[in-house]
Amino acid sequence: MRVIKFLIYGVPLILVAVFVAAFWNATQLSTNKKNELTIGSIGEPTKINPILSTDSAASQVESLVFEGLLKYSADLELEPNLAREFQLSQTTTFFFPTNESASAAREILMTLSARWAEWTLRNAVVIDRELRLDFLQPGLETSNVIADLISIDPMSPVVQVRVEVGDKARELLATFRAAHPEFNIVREWFDYDAVFEISALGDSAPISEALTAFLAAKKVEKSNVQVLDELQFLAEPVVRFDLREGVLWQDGVEFTSKDVAFTFWALTDASIGSPRKPDFDLIQALETPTPYEVVVTYRKPFSPALSSWTMSIIPAHILEGKPISWWDEFFHRSPVGLGPFKFAEWKTNEFIRLERNPTYYDGAPWLDAVVIRTLPDPIANRLAFETRQVDYWGVDPWAVKAFEDDERFDVFNAPAKQYNWVGWNLRMPMFQDLRVRQAFAHAVNVPEMIKYVLYGNGVQSTGIFPPMYWFANNDIVPIPYDPDRARALLDEAGWKLGPDGIRVKDGERMSFKLITNQGNETRKDIATLVQDNLKRIGVDVQVEIYEWAVFISRFVMKQEFESLVLAWTTPPDYDAFQVWHSSQANADQLNLVGYNNPQVDRLIEQLRQEYDRDKIIEMAGKIQLIIYEDQPLLFLYIPDSTSVIWKDSFRIRRPTPDGWKDTPVEMTKAGWTYYLQWFYRPEYADEMPPAEVAVP
Amino acid sequence: MIHFIIRRLLITLVLVFFISLVSFFIITLTPGSPYPWGELDPKISQTVKDNYRKQFHLDEPIWMQYYLNMKGLFSGDLRSIKDGRPVLERIGERLPATLALNVCAIVISLSFGLLIGVYSARNAGRWPDVTLSVISFAMLALPGFWISYLVIIGITDWFGTPMLGTSTYGTIFPNAASQMLDYAWHLALPASLLALGGIAAQSRYIRASMIETLGEDYIRTARAKGLDEETVSYKHALRNSIRPLITGIGGLLPALIGGSIIIESIFAYPGIGRLGYQAVLERDYSTLVALNFITAALVLLGNLLADILYAAVDPRVRLE
Amino acid sequence: MNDEFLSPGQRMMRRFRRDRIGMIATACVAVLFVVAVTFGTLSLLGIPFPADPNLTNLEVKLRPPSAEHWLGTDNLGRDVLARLLHGAYISLSVGFVAVFVSLAIGVVVGAVSGYFGGWVDNVIMRVVDAIMCFPTFFLILTAVALMGPSLINIIVVIGLVSWTGTARLVRAEFLTLRESEYVRAARGLGQNSFAIIFKHILPNAAAPIFVTAVLGIPDAILTEAGLSFLGFGVQPPQATWGNIISDGKSYILDAWWLILFPGLAIFLSALAFYLAGDALRRAASSKSETQ
Repeated sequence: MRVIKFLIYGVPLILVAVFVAAFWNATQLSTNKKNELTIGSIGEPTKINPILSTDSAASQVESLVFEGLLKYSADLELEPNLAREFQLSQTTTFFFPTNESASAAREILMTLSARWAEWTLRNAVVIDRELRLDFLQPGLETSNVIADLISIDPMSPVVQVRVEVGDKARELLATFRAAHPEFNIVREWFDYDAVFEISALGDSAPISEALTAFLAAKKVEKSNVQVLDELQFLAEPVVRFDLREGVLWQDGVEFTSKDVAFTFWALTDASIGSPRKPDFDLIQALETPTPYEVVVTYRKPFSPALSSWTMSIIPAHILEGKPISWWDEFFHRSPVGLGPFKFAEWKTNEFIRLERNPTYYDGAPWLDAVVIRTLPDPIANRLAFETRQVDYWGVDPWAVKAFEDDERFDVFNAPAKQYNWVGWNLRMPMFQDLRVRQAFAHAVNVPEMIKYVLYGNGVQSTGIFPPMYWFANNDIVPIPYDPDRARALLDEAGWKLGPDGIRVKDGERMSFKLITNQGNETRKDIATLVQDNLKRIGVDVQVEIYEWAVFISRFVMKQEFESLVLAWTTPPDYDAFQVWHSSQANADQLNLVGYNNPQVDRLIEQLRQEYDRDKIIEMAGKIQLIIYEDQPLLFLYIPDSTSVIWKDSFRIRRPTPDGWKDTPVEMTKAGWTYYLQWFYRPEYADEMPPAEVAVP
Repeated sequence: MIHFIIRRLLITLVLVFFISLVSFFIITLTPGSPYPWGELDPKISQTVKDNYRKQFHLDEPIWMQYYLNMKGLFSGDLRSIKDGRPVLERIGERLPATLALNVCAIVISLSFGLLIGVYSARNAGRWPDVTLSVISFAMLALPGFWISYLVIIGITDWFGTPMLGTSTYGTIFPNAASQMLDYAWHLALPASLLALGGIAAQSRYIRASMIETLGEDYIRTARAKGLDEETVSYKHALRNSIRPLITGIGGLLPALIGGSIIIESIFAYPGIGRLGYQAVLERDYSTLVALNFITAALVLLGNLLADILYAAVDPRVRLE
Repeated sequence: MNDEFLSPGQRMMRRFRRDRIGMIATACVAVLFVVAVTFGTLSLLGIPFPADPNLTNLEVKLRPPSAEHWLGTDNLGRDVLARLLHGAYISLSVGFVAVFVSLAIGVVVGAVSGYFGGWVDNVIMRVVDAIMCFPTFFLILTAVALMGPSLINIIVVIGLVSWTGTARLVRAEFLTLRESEYVRAARGLGQNSFAIIFKHILPNAAAPIFVTAVLGIPDAILTEAGLSFLGFGVQPPQATWGNIISDGKSYILDAWWLILFPGLAIFLSALAFYLAGDALRRAASSKSETQ
């Protein structure tokens, strides 16, 4: 019986004693930190592979473990990385019916050799019935000019046809070629094995009819033959990368052009199914003449393609020949890359540990390791930061001032690469009147929204490109807050105030739904404020909030919404095609509001083919201006991204032309972690080379 | 007895399949699809999306999907839609942490529940009992997320002690004992908060049961025989009031897997409750099928176990 | 005064009145009720007393408790006290109506099962077992996703998910009561089953059923709070106690009043209901004073 008594009274006592002891122990833990940087992450990567992953948790790890041929500098411009040098050029090919006419054309060109410098034309050769011109600068303009000049004899037009067959594209094309030798097919390209696109000499009608008949004869179901373009010539830009030598993978093997070729293969192969493939769809061929040279030929001028080479390279010597299930089991949870930190350990749902890569080509980092801890709750993240369990925290707007005023912390502020907006579904008649959209823009007090929702940590957005990019148009004047003007515009558009305070036109009340997703405080606040602001000018808005998956699948991707609050994250890319071109307004595409402006369409298409920096700035600026004036979205703001670390917990010592420079952690356009490779903890400073230039 | 067990097991099997089928229907009927990428990412091509749907049978009719998922589950081959890893592995790696947390919580609620229940019963009607009653109900009335946040903020503001996750990171431990205590601390706090409701419930059951027993004839006889109050309470009355404890143990099985979503999120504790919650949000059907099935099986087996233990302990109970 | 001369009901009332804690708790419940009804009416009539719960005023966002705002303001500058008062009726109606729904279903199912016994009982109890195993979270999530997060949907879903306990209790009562003498007499007199159930057994089982109901209200309130906390509750701008907390959860380290006061309201209301219900249970049961 004493046993029973002991159990009843003793066990709880023991538990309490253990609890107290454990608590006391926890309070006594030293704050001696290891030479590591710990980051908190809300999500956990699903797989670590830069060509396959799409979640931000994975890209955080990948940015430390992998490297690409190019990278973005601290000012967000493209610069060489694993490729120590790159060079653009272009081959324009004219097709002639005979060798003589080709040579004749060349003769004409030789007489114009004085203009070659102006055209950046380096060479012109005749091969069989083709005249190939080699330009230093890609682009269509020069080629067009030359085409006019040399077309004394008629050239063969080139027709580009896209044929969707669903499967066995390669086999079908080969059969077609054999069956129809009369068509001179000069280029072929395959989208997995489902589609082929060919460039053939001649007019469009004969070949497209032949193809249609061929497919019907072969009983190919659901096929589609589409003539894409009829061109005078083929302009194929070429990028040549010269790779650094002596760069080692984290397992010791040397990095060569073979890895680049393999990465390209993986990006475009059906069995891998990379979601990044569309960025590489315009590549006609990728060749590796030597282990340190990569030559990429594009199918047509497409200037945004250069930025696709910031894509990280994956190791051929590990992954080649293995099926993707092998990748899942052996690589995706223990990757090998070329970056400053290499993979060490992944304790699922707890942390991923990356250790210093001593053979990193740009110099081994000072830190022993970077640890990424999984903390699913945003508040947990902050608590972990305040108890020094993680070393930095992304500050919420309302807490920024408190941290800035607190001397124990260093705060870094920079505009985020996104802009928030309210979208009007332009398929609704109410929103099709420009005056209505302008009225709404005047009615919503964006500066006040920034002041109160963001606590001042943001700037008003003036269009689709955030201001820190080199091609952004910073001359656009934001639409001012003017509710009277808003009312006037609505009156003008025929929407008059009704008896219940809501405007009416032709019997229709000005009332609509504004939806957004759950889990985001700021979006909820925006929705509530917009609702309130619009109510004051006589517009009734009902706010509905949905869980993210439902929001996306039921409303956004089907474009079945009236208006919505959302944000676009924008990489340093000026190609506005996917979101603003009128062809992208169908279900599952990204022109969510259904914007259709032929002038903008043309500008977008032209911009994609423009390589000249000044012209790019001009055209991008114009696109931004026109879209802003059209107000398909109510452009709200670009928030600041604020980070905080404990003061002097880290410093930077990096190499400069003047020697080792020691500075506190500083902000760059590319973020405050740009120099992560050179971060160190001051208590471990003795193990490093002395600083030659010091900034306190 | 054997007959009974076999019959119940068969019924359990049928029920488990029925439950998992209906749950599966409900989940797949919910709007939303399980894409592991941002649907608003412009770079994902349609072919990739189609391949993905094919790989996970998302375009098949619902009953076919259920069959394929179950087949995968029993062959061990079932893979998570979210990251392609075997589902059983994903569940398995969370098991130790979940087990630790829940076993701890159950131990705490049983031991404190027993203590409070017995003490209240022995002092029934007097002010210690009344106070403890109020306290028990207070523990039941506390919203879990509220008290957790208040505790966490309090500790952070006043002590600055780390308490998230399963261990303190990045610190150099002076010795092994300190590290063990660190694990204990990270376990103790969420387990205690998880156990609050359990303590209250257990103590009420035990108290009621023991009071009822203490009023029985044979107890009066024992007292009349001159046995002291302690012996009467502990030796005789308690033995017969153990029933609630048994129910508690029967409830062990499903609780071992259930976990609490809210506590796990707040404490960043890598448990199964959170896995299930995220799977629902991500529409990870394969993981959900596995979790549902396992949970249902464990609940029903737990009930069966409780009934068997009842019969074993109390000869008056007749199992049909 | 001799208890034997009083009716069961009067006996119950006497015992209840002697229970001090129970009386205090009941008084609190009554106050809560009055507050909810008063401010609920004010809310539905659109009268902004003591302040407009929906008035956004960005100049005073996230202010701590002060003279103008006794419980502080939230992230849109709305007065927390006003939102608490005007939201009370929603949180309480969820409690009452959800319990009513679950009671209705539970009583019917339990009565049928307990009275008829045999295979009817077996089948029904197995079904109840099965339903108890259902992952309630999925059901709620699905229902809310499919039907939209409105107050009615949430109430119905909570009610549909929580009737099994009542069913079991009612069944147990019926199993006992159907063997009692007056039931046998009634059957002997030829009355049909339904009349017996409703006129004879149910009134005698009423007390425990009522107690279950009262004890079920705080569960429903806590469930609604939990749902709102996870983001599946009633939509803005309507205030409920649960969604004041969930709105304020991001600001928890900077604006503790957004969490403390609504949580306190939920806690105290739930506690009051539990204590009142427990007092009722003790008063209604025929056991001696040590209950």
